[in-house]
Amino acid sequence: MAAITAVGAYAPRFRITAEAFADAWGHFQASGISEKAVPAADEDALTMGYEAATRALEAADLTGDAIDWLGFASSRPPVAEEDLTARLGAMLAVNEATTRHVFTGSTRAGTRALWAGIDAVDTDETTTGLVVAADAPRGEPDSELDHAAGAAGAAFVLEASGPADIADRAEYSLPYPGTRFRNTGEEETQGLGVTQYDRQAFTETIGGAVAALESDSSDDLEPAAAAIQAPNGKLPYRAAGAAGVGTDEIQAAATVHKLGDLGAASVPVSLASALADGHESILAVSFGSGAGADALVLESDGSVPTQIDLDANTDTNGEDDEQTLSYAEYLRQRGVVTAGPPSGGGAYVSVPSWRRSIPQRYRLEAGRCPECGALAFPPEGACDDCGSLVEYETVTLANRGRIEAVTTISQGGAPPEFAPQQSQAGDYAAAIVELPVADSAGTEAGDETVSLPAMGTDAAPDAFAVDDEIETTIRRIYTQEGVTRYGFKVRPTA
Amino acid sequence: MRIVDEIYFIPGTPFTSMRDVYLVGAGQSAYGAFPSESYRSLFRTAFEDAVESVPNGLETDDVDEAFIGTLGVGGRQLGLSGPAVTEHVGLDGVPCTRVENACAASGFATRQAVQAVKSGMADVALAGGFEIMTDMSSDATKYWLGVSGETEWERLSGTTFSGVYAQMASAHMEEYGTTREQLSRVAVKNHANGAKNPHAQLGFECSLEDAQSAPVVADPLNLYHCCPTSDGAACALIVSEDVVDDYTDDPIRVAGVGAGSDSVGLFQRDSYTGVPASQHAAETAYEMADISPEDLDFAEVHDCFAIAELLAYEDLGFCEKGEAGQFIESGATELGGELPVNTSGGLKSKGHPIGATGAGQVVEAFKQLSGKAGERQVENPTRGLTHNVGGSGGASVIHVFEKETEVSA
Repeated sequence: MAAITAVGAYAPRFRITAEAFADAWGHFQASGISEKAVPAADEDALTMGYEAATRALEAADLTGDAIDWLGFASSRPPVAEEDLTARLGAMLAVNEATTRHVFTGSTRAGTRALWAGIDAVDTDETTTGLVVAADAPRGEPDSELDHAAGAAGAAFVLEASGPADIADRAEYSLPYPGTRFRNTGEEETQGLGVTQYDRQAFTETIGGAVAALESDSSDDLEPAAAAIQAPNGKLPYRAAGAAGVGTDEIQAAATVHKLGDLGAASVPVSLASALADGHESILAVSFGSGAGADALVLESDGSVPTQIDLDANTDTNGEDDEQTLSYAEYLRQRGVVTAGPPSGGGAYVSVPSWRRSIPQRYRLEAGRCPECGALAFPPEGACDDCGSLVEYETVTLANRGRIEAVTTISQGGAPPEFAPQQSQAGDYAAAIVELPVADSAGTEAGDETVSLPAMGTDAAPDAFAVDDEIETTIRRIYTQEGVTRYGFKVRPTA
Repeated sequence: MRIVDEIYFIPGTPFTSMRDVYLVGAGQSAYGAFPSESYRSLFRTAFEDAVESVPNGLETDDVDEAFIGTLGVGGRQLGLSGPAVTEHVGLDGVPCTRVENACAASGFATRQAVQAVKSGMADVALAGGFEIMTDMSSDATKYWLGVSGETEWERLSGTTFSGVYAQMASAHMEEYGTTREQLSRVAVKNHANGAKNPHAQLGFECSLEDAQSAPVVADPLNLYHCCPTSDGAACALIVSEDVVDDYTDDPIRVAGVGAGSDSVGLFQRDSYTGVPASQHAAETAYEMADISPEDLDFAEVHDCFAIAELLAYEDLGFCEKGEAGQFIESGATELGGELPVNTSGGLKSKGHPIGATGAGQVVEAFKQLSGKAGERQVENPTRGLTHNVGGSGGASVIHVFEKETEVSA
């Protein structure tokens, strides 16, 4: 079977503690979770997937054009209908003809994507697959599901052989309606909360999948780490018996205690973490309501290249207070208590105009004047240096550069398109940055730079100053007419 | 930035061969928030004030052509907004063109009027402007305020003009050590002047402490570093040397004109610490007027944000590059200083009804040169300059006005 050859994982920088929930609600309903990750106002499953995928590609020392199979999994994709792999692929510079699939509908979607990726690599059609799982579950604010809901993403590069071999797999399915569902058109995921019924659905399907493994029947399965679906911090341990593992092995791969319920990314992120920790024998078992489970057995030589960023960063001041949210800040960041965009007309960038700028917004494509060699951004119109009306040669910019001018936009200073984000996330930095031209590996080459405007993200606005180094990432810019526009923003270099 | 030479300076076409033009009248409505006024009623007030200011009188029928600046905030009268105001004041049948260059709309309308008269196509031209900005929700206002920037990239990095000028301020502070206090001194000075101008929207004095402790809009710019949104209208009457005697015995000549344009987005320019379009406009206007900045007795500059006034000091040659902070600190630009700047109160205190602002600056120049500036009168001035910028420097236009003792006919 196929092998995992590189791993990336990402969690947003914000955290909220169980105590903050208990202060707000009088109690915290998600057992076994001490704190959890909270997506910033400009993050969603697609941007977290991008973050994880770029890390996996960097760990693999690959660029997007090497990928010939792309899978994206989330139980909460930012759009319910529209194939996000088109945008994800464009962000990662994956070839247009690459096979793509979206996996959604349950928290099992992440392992379903892995499953399909393995199938693809097992055929001779696919050389290099990229499986991306990212999620940020969401329920009614007073529900156990919302208390548990975290956020993160993981990505895996799959090839025919490599350091982490997928030795075995099995799946199992039984009808168990009502454990966790979101009807068409509904915003919040819910569950009936029939405690014993829910536990039975969980353990029975997990047990069924593990029992169906060939290796299990011979009783030689003794994983060092077990990545078990974690809707909260207790449930995976209840499935220890059914999965045939001990609680120590589950603990070894657990991410739920610090990141919360990661939905379709739960098992992928735990698996990424276990591979990064160098475990050589790993059992991964997902559960998705409906219900069904996937079990995967991995044998690793402990040398899988990984790039894992799951810890809360400390900001430039060396304090992480800015990243630990109160419950009120949590509601703001998630947009629970903020209004939508104001009504009005004015400056309007149509979706077709926006689409034309996607090569710049996703992949930092600038232009070089064929007449005088000067750089131009955006690459259109007469050359600013020699005045020639030319067709620019495409050059890609490096994703690291320097701030030339910067401001912090406070209330009243933001264009109304950004009013919802500002009410969710507060003041933000807006900068002009210079980026150098990139070499083929995407890193800086030479002294030539071109300037472009960019919003700051991932740090407090006072973390941006003239001459500071920054790196680019992709985030939600704004939503208009229901269509979210994504594009590059900048953050202080790690 | 690339500059196309002014038509006046194309070799073999000496501008001196064209006829001289004169400013014979100028007037404005009060600037402020006027829920009971319409853009037409404000324009009427400005037009009547301008006609009344002509020393020897002027008949509406005398006007040959009109150029009207307006951005059209709020989508008001999107088409034919020029004729909509000129017919309202009885200029029926007069060719009228609406000019839109963002905040420099009526500075460029004035330029058009000057060109029309210089060329010989008109003897009397009206240059005016108007804007209504305060009769809508704050959200709707913001939608329209951002529209004169570079939309696809600059605006969608989260900036309106306050943010873009704040970026310029950050670069100027970094490069030249300009301080927040120096920015605040612009507000203190302009409010002190505006308090002496009955037409000013924010005609009150403010202390340096007030101007330093106001809420931040876009760091380093606080509320006192930003001009208000305003309703208002202004008009100027431009005539040829052939007819100037009919209207005044104390002619004010349009001695120099200059203009320039540039990338609309700041990030596409070579410099963030200056406005190349203004530098070029000033150079051209000084050359045509055959003066240097030292010859000016006052100037109305485009201080939409405090940093913009400081940049103007440098771009227009009032001080050396990088020294604008010390220049304001020295008191040189206060009333009574060596070069009083924004005696009207500027955009900061007088107000900034976008389309009216450029013509409104001409009103102040007319008042100063006519000795009718009241409490804020500069002592016996001969020469003044107006400087009107569109956006963050995508367009800039400058006029130099000069009092003549006798008509050069």
